[in-house]
Amino acid sequence: MHSLCGAFGWTPAVHQQAKESVILPRKKAWSKEAVLETLASTLNRDSTAYPYQFQDDPYLSPRTATEFKLYSLAQDSGRSAARYFVNNHPKFFTKDFAEPHIPCLMPETVSLLLEEVSEEALKERITLRKVTAAVDMYDQLLQTGTAVSMETTHELLDLICLYCDRNPVQEGEAGAEEEKEGRRMTSRRGADVPRLSWTENNNAERIFYLLPERDTRCYSAVIRGMVKHGAYAKAFSVYSDMLNNRTPGDVHIFNALISAAPEVRDGYSERWDLISELLNHMKQQEIHPNLLTFNSVLKSLRQCGSLARSYSPQTLNEMKALGIAPSLASYDHILAVFYKSVSSGPSNSDVLQNLMTELEGQSFTCVDPDDVLFFSSAMKVCLDNKDLELGYRVQSLVEVGENWRLLGDSVQLSIYYGRFFNLLCMMEDVDVVLRWYKQMVPSLYYPNAQGMKHLLQALDTDGRLDLLPDIWTDMKTLGLYNRADLLEQLLGLMAGEEHSPELQEAFAVCALDVKSVFEEKAGLEWSASSLSHVTTLLLRASKAQQAWDMLKLFKAHNRIPSEALLNSFLSVCQRDGASERAVELVQLSAAFCLTSTSGLASRALAEFDLNQEQRLVLAGLEAAAGPPSD
Amino acid sequence: MIVTPSLSELNMAASLTSTANVRLLSSFAWSSLLSGPIGSRSLHVTAVCCKNRAARIRVGKGEKPLTYEQAYHPHHIAHHKGWLSQHTSNLKGEDGAAERTIEDVFIRRFMFGTFHGCLADEIVIKRRGNLLIVCALMLQKLPPQKFYFLTGYSEVLLSHFYKCPVKLEIQTLQDKHVYKYI
Repeated sequence: MHSLCGAFGWTPAVHQQAKESVILPRKKAWSKEAVLETLASTLNRDSTAYPYQFQDDPYLSPRTATEFKLYSLAQDSGRSAARYFVNNHPKFFTKDFAEPHIPCLMPETVSLLLEEVSEEALKERITLRKVTAAVDMYDQLLQTGTAVSMETTHELLDLICLYCDRNPVQEGEAGAEEEKEGRRMTSRRGADVPRLSWTENNNAERIFYLLPERDTRCYSAVIRGMVKHGAYAKAFSVYSDMLNNRTPGDVHIFNALISAAPEVRDGYSERWDLISELLNHMKQQEIHPNLLTFNSVLKSLRQCGSLARSYSPQTLNEMKALGIAPSLASYDHILAVFYKSVSSGPSNSDVLQNLMTELEGQSFTCVDPDDVLFFSSAMKVCLDNKDLELGYRVQSLVEVGENWRLLGDSVQLSIYYGRFFNLLCMMEDVDVVLRWYKQMVPSLYYPNAQGMKHLLQALDTDGRLDLLPDIWTDMKTLGLYNRADLLEQLLGLMAGEEHSPELQEAFAVCALDVKSVFEEKAGLEWSASSLSHVTTLLLRASKAQQAWDMLKLFKAHNRIPSEALLNSFLSVCQRDGASERAVELVQLSAAFCLTSTSGLASRALAEFDLNQEQRLVLAGLEAAAGPPSD
Repeated sequence: MIVTPSLSELNMAASLTSTANVRLLSSFAWSSLLSGPIGSRSLHVTAVCCKNRAARIRVGKGEKPLTYEQAYHPHHIAHHKGWLSQHTSNLKGEDGAAERTIEDVFIRRFMFGTFHGCLADEIVIKRRGNLLIVCALMLQKLPPQKFYFLTGYSEVLLSHFYKCPVKLEIQTLQDKHVYKYI
């Protein structure tokens, strides 16, 4: 890790400073707050620190994004294993000597205590989230004729609708099913929660229809459950049922229905008509909309095509008129509406500019689950418009206070920083890029192969190829040596031009390293260009024997060396005076049936002093190859 | 002050080395003989481990590797080595020394068993306020994700057991650091 932090980027600057003369002042006066200012400057994020949840040890710190996720998940599963033991054997953990009492360190009750058919038992099952047991207990209560209070019925309905009539997944039990589903559907949704779907005539509906009187909370539970688990049309039919019975609604029902509106209507104007109808109903029933209402309106507007551009600003104005501050999720929906495709045109960046001006310096808390998507969408807009200034403004918003918490989970984090780094590599000077690279990698951002390619391109554009050996060590630490295309790009950059002798030495060492990687890793295929690059680098660093071994690899992997390569090899042989090798070279080229064989043979005959035998061989090859056909 | 070093030596002797057959704190409650009429004050007796044998590894033929901790004998504490268990209950006017010691013994055995075969040296236990910090030096025998699983498990289990936050600080080594051979 220290190679990433200290190796490159600072040494040229230090050398420069040493050349200037240092003037020592006679007396230095410090301001009164100097100590406090120095202490305050240490409070920023330490860019060389590992993420705090990991142990501070090189062996135990993650180096790639996959390792990050693996280690944090391993730690969490250890914790849940411990909690399982604590909760299932509570008698060892009940001795309480904490003063004052710490409730979160006591074992929780996970098993049912009450077995008799009673409302208490039903309430217990509800609190312990045992869905099927609760439903059974309710049915038994109904059969015995005991009346169940409305309160408990509400909670039972909430429970069933939340968990879609199935028991919540216990840790470790349903791991196998989740994995199967996850593998099939990872592209569509995260593998966290298997999406449950609302079945026909399940317990929620049955209990709902059995109720003698249904009030707002019952309707609310059923409608929201249906929307959450995908039964949109049914949700609307229950809603119309509710209207017929003249039961008052509440804000949660309308939020759910508005977010479900695009699923039950095709056609943009119909969707908008439905949404406005729902909003009118809300107004008639005098239900005050909240932030989530407006966010659902904006989210549904995203699927309303061109209508969205006219109606979303109106929605924002409504929010401001009602005094509800828009959250980051609202802004995310606005961005999605106005920046729908890449070819929207440059005039649209005004929206994000104005937005950033307004949001400057504000700190946010998470009020809507979709808040975490804002920053990555904003950075995507900056990247598409190649607007570096705007990108810096978004980054400065992230650095305000606690806003970094709104960057989301590790996937969102890597997307955001990947886009930011991409923008920097495209538009910025290489020194600034390296400064950001040192700050972000690897404490915040684990570059994937794409990010590395951008970095290599930036180095190439600004001609800082002397940093390539250090970048190669970083790539090895980050585990990015499995990508043949990345290795090829690296080798191509190194072999592009002639450089100073020390640099060539360093490049040659890298090239040998890459060669060993190709040999060790199964599944990495040599390509003709990578082979020729490695050979060229070895030749330039005067490692003739190893270059000769490389040529043998060409044959082994069925690749053909280029003419330029063989010519340069011949020149090196001439410099070294290795005439044996020159003859073997020409024979090799003949074995490959290359058209340049005759040219090589004539060159060899002219430039080297050979004995009779070798002359004969070369003359034969020159003749055999013959003049090139037209 | 004289009592504490010998107790911690008993800890050290008991947890990792199997030479001294010390059964720690076997509770012989001779209450019927020694308790007074009002309130029982029972006597707990352990097997004796003499001062000149406690926490000392006997000299061999030159093939026994010793860590720094094992090489220095108990009378070198505060001269060449520090304490393995740091808490304030031995200061004047503070109580709870015995309870802390029992907790330490349990924690050492727990760590020895949970991270079986991975401990490179003795565990250092520090108490800061309410927080219990267990510092361990481990060998790199397990892949890191297994280390994290065991760390998360130990932290939560020990926190629930002792009703205080417990943190584990782990450093890894390739193999045990040998100070000298005896």
